[in-house]
Amino acid sequence: MSNKLTMALLASCALGLLGGAAMAQDFDYGKFDGYTLKVKLIGGTQYEKLYTRIPEWEAMTGAKVDIVSSKAHFDLDREIKQDIASGSISWCVGSNHTSFAPQYGDLYVDLKQHIAQAELDKYVPGTLASAMVDGRLVQLPRVTDVSNIYYNKALYADPAKQAAYKAKYGKDLVPPETFDDFKNQIIFFADPPNLYGTAFAGKDEGMSGRFMELLRANGGDIFDENWKPIFNSDAGVAAVQWFKDIYDAKAVPAGTVNYGWDEIGAAMAAGQLAIDLDWPGWASYFSDPASSKVAANLGFAVSPVGTSGHRGGWSGSHSFSVTEQCDNIPAAVSFAVFMTNDESEMMEATAGNLPTRSKTFSDVVQWFKDNNKPALAEMFPIWQQSLAEARTPPLIPQWIEVSNVIWPKVQAAIVGQEEIKAALDEAAAQATTIMQDAGLLK
Amino acid sequence: MKFLRSPRATPYLLLLPAIVVILAVVLVPLLVSFWTSFTGYTLTKPATLFQFVGLRNYQRLLGNADFWWAFARTIMFITIALNLELVLGLGLALLINKITWGQRTLRTIMMFPMMFSPILVGFQFKYLFNDAVGLVNNALFDLGLIHEPIAWLVEAGLANFSIIFAEMWMSTSVFAILLLAGLMALPKEPIEAARVDGCNAWQVFRHITLPFLMPFIYIALTIRSLDVARAYDMVKIMTNGGPAQRTELLWTLMTRVGYQNSQMGMANAMGYISIIVSIAFTVFYYRKLTSARAFMGGAQ
Amino acid sequence: MSASLTMEKPWQRWLIRFGVFVAMVILVVPGAWVVLTAFRPNIEILARPAVWIPHQLTLRNFQGIFGLLTTQPGLPVVQYFINSLVISVTSTVVALAIGMMGGYAFARYRFRGKGALFLGFMLSRTVPGVALSLPLFIVWARIGLIDTELGLIIVYLAINVPFTIWLTDGFFRQIPVDLSEAAQIDGCTRWQAFWRVEFPLARAGLASAAIFAFLTSWNEFALASQLSRTTASKTLPVGLLDFTAQFNVDWAGMSALAVLIIIPALVLTFVVQKQLIAGLTFGGVKG
Repeated sequence: MSNKLTMALLASCALGLLGGAAMAQDFDYGKFDGYTLKVKLIGGTQYEKLYTRIPEWEAMTGAKVDIVSSKAHFDLDREIKQDIASGSISWCVGSNHTSFAPQYGDLYVDLKQHIAQAELDKYVPGTLASAMVDGRLVQLPRVTDVSNIYYNKALYADPAKQAAYKAKYGKDLVPPETFDDFKNQIIFFADPPNLYGTAFAGKDEGMSGRFMELLRANGGDIFDENWKPIFNSDAGVAAVQWFKDIYDAKAVPAGTVNYGWDEIGAAMAAGQLAIDLDWPGWASYFSDPASSKVAANLGFAVSPVGTSGHRGGWSGSHSFSVTEQCDNIPAAVSFAVFMTNDESEMMEATAGNLPTRSKTFSDVVQWFKDNNKPALAEMFPIWQQSLAEARTPPLIPQWIEVSNVIWPKVQAAIVGQEEIKAALDEAAAQATTIMQDAGLLK
Repeated sequence: MKFLRSPRATPYLLLLPAIVVILAVVLVPLLVSFWTSFTGYTLTKPATLFQFVGLRNYQRLLGNADFWWAFARTIMFITIALNLELVLGLGLALLINKITWGQRTLRTIMMFPMMFSPILVGFQFKYLFNDAVGLVNNALFDLGLIHEPIAWLVEAGLANFSIIFAEMWMSTSVFAILLLAGLMALPKEPIEAARVDGCNAWQVFRHITLPFLMPFIYIALTIRSLDVARAYDMVKIMTNGGPAQRTELLWTLMTRVGYQNSQMGMANAMGYISIIVSIAFTVFYYRKLTSARAFMGGAQ
Repeated sequence: MSASLTMEKPWQRWLIRFGVFVAMVILVVPGAWVVLTAFRPNIEILARPAVWIPHQLTLRNFQGIFGLLTTQPGLPVVQYFINSLVISVTSTVVALAIGMMGGYAFARYRFRGKGALFLGFMLSRTVPGVALSLPLFIVWARIGLIDTELGLIIVYLAINVPFTIWLTDGFFRQIPVDLSEAAQIDGCTRWQAFWRVEFPLARAGLASAAIFAFLTSWNEFALASQLSRTTASKTLPVGLLDFTAQFNVDWAGMSALAVLIIIPALVLTFVVQKQLIAGLTFGGVKG
């Protein structure tokens, strides 16, 4: 620690910028001349914009960054697991995600040991809390995902539709506040094959997550406090029934059970969906006329509540982690902090992502107003509300595995191949075995 | 040392590089995975590599309905795909053999799908068969043949049809080119003699062409059964076994269990069972080939 | 061939032509669609209602790959191409050499364990890539072959050697032993006899083995995606995945790269067409 302090002093003297008071507050990025930091980062245009800041960090610290890998998360996950299996962790910083992090055991350091509390206080408290695994802060959150509603305002503003909806359901046609309204509207708007009420991620963690969200909104949960799987409860059956109802009504594309995020986003951008319960990351894409037909009519709303009166608030954060085996942990920590500092978060937020630092929320709304993007300025306060009820999937290493027994069975129930209750019972039995093998459930 | 210099050693020496390569790339990894199939090996916990669990993985598989469905589906997939590819490839070869002009171009076009990496074929057919914006549904709509989208990759029968179709598109050419080679080597005399004797086209095909082609057919089947697992890349992209495991094959199940669930021990147990399936197919066709060769009076 | 054609009535000939036409359409259309996609802007493909006649054709997707657009960084596609070429060509050439030696041994010698060894080689190819990938990765990681061209070359050797052995075995068998014996009586060593007499006769077989080996290595994905990680060894098919991200798949860009993958393979196939057929004809059959 004293070493670090000397470095801090040296750096601040050299720069001659920092006053004594600021020193306690501002993070010191250090000097690592001649050092090459190896990093594995999530790829894709949406994530890579932030990496344009890397040269800035290089200039500031004198280190070089070598991006040894850049791919989509499931591929990165597989690669990291291979590295663990073969004992070849030769890199320092890796992109991470709250849903993946618990799997990696002690691969990553506890950042609380390396970053001053004053710095950590700048992050949104709830977001930071969900970045912990077993009390260890294994990752620094970079952007947060909470599901929220995008809708096509043109459809909601159509007087004929308003009248018809009112006549049928006795309510005004406004973005749904409950999942029941949501279902009614999905079915009401559907006019296949050119317009569907919505589409949902019907496979992989997308399906499990949506199911979990609705399950929790209905007052249920995946596990009880003893890690016993209880998602085959009445709330679980009702959740699957919800998906089955809109599927049977043909209000969603039949292929939706095979869709991933890309297909749903593409359909929304093509104007094929009335409502889309989706991630914040899409906002800039949907609001850009060059890529989206709904750009001019894009509306935002918080996600609906279930029968319990609460939101499911499925959320997670993309993040950066530092490996235990890193040969220069201070440099790696410096990099991780830099990539999530105020300027970086501002960059993420101006691209439409939900930032992880408290300050950025107010800053970015002003920025959008100044830069004449009223739609996005309107979005942030709405979505900040949903952060209040945001909940991650269970932060245990077995989540992905449990998810992999849930979604095929939920799919089977939705397409009518199995009875809902029977399908969930079966998945719960498999999940029980997994939890017993893991020693979490006695 | 003495043995190495003797003439008896020559064939072994000639084969040595081939044996070394196969040992390094196939056998050693295979032994590693064989060991792990008896452990509770979890990818993210290297120490579990030595956690011996005996036959637990295999026992669990025996009682796992999902696994056996995938197992049965894989056998169906291989059988249907290989046989249809054979019939269509034969038809294609017979047709092309009749055309006298532009042979080189025609054959290149015939081999066009062989230039496509299986993963590319996967993306290609995923988009062709997409229910909302796919080429197939768009065409059917605009021709007025359908009024609501066909969920190609969802409905059980259609989804399996779609992946088999993609597999056939990718691989029928291999059969066609091998059988075309056979047709071109076909001796003319017996056919002409048969024609003179008044045999019709069908009789000529049935009694002369087909028996001559049999070894080629078995060669093609053997080769294809060897690398039919290439279809994994394609299926992974198109459906990844879904929805509701309707298109789940051993390969997709295995990868999910091994990499996403990190249960490598269990995945390798599945791997061993799938290897046995592949071996059974190959040995079956190889034996047919040997007997067909013997019929032609060639081999030992 | 022409003899058999003359026996057909005109309607039969037209029927055959029609059949060939239909078959070609089925084989070409799904692939040609990919090629066309490569030249179209993203909003026109995968649209509903469909845009059948392209409003505009564009080279944007290719420019994007090569980094000529300001909106997106390019891909190291030249490096991928070089990697693919080095890996495919080297593994093909070496597989031919090793396979030919093996094929010659099987064709010309009697030795213990011959049948089992031959079947063993064949069966080594039945192991699905997925089953091999992790153990192979662990072994390769230990000896430092991960993410190297050499690592992939060795793997493709193992994939291609058995098939080459098989084809060349058939070829050498149908070359009469007398020929090489005669040469040896004339004073050639067995080695010289091989190169002067047997090798030239087996050339067509080698050509067809070569094209199969090349196409296999050129298009292989499952193992390459595991064993390569950076531009040091990443091949073109693995590069296709650069177009997929968490939330979107750039199908137009992917198609453009696909075109770049297909063209060399297509040209090569067209060039070696004649040898290919001749090679396969005599290869595996006349044992």
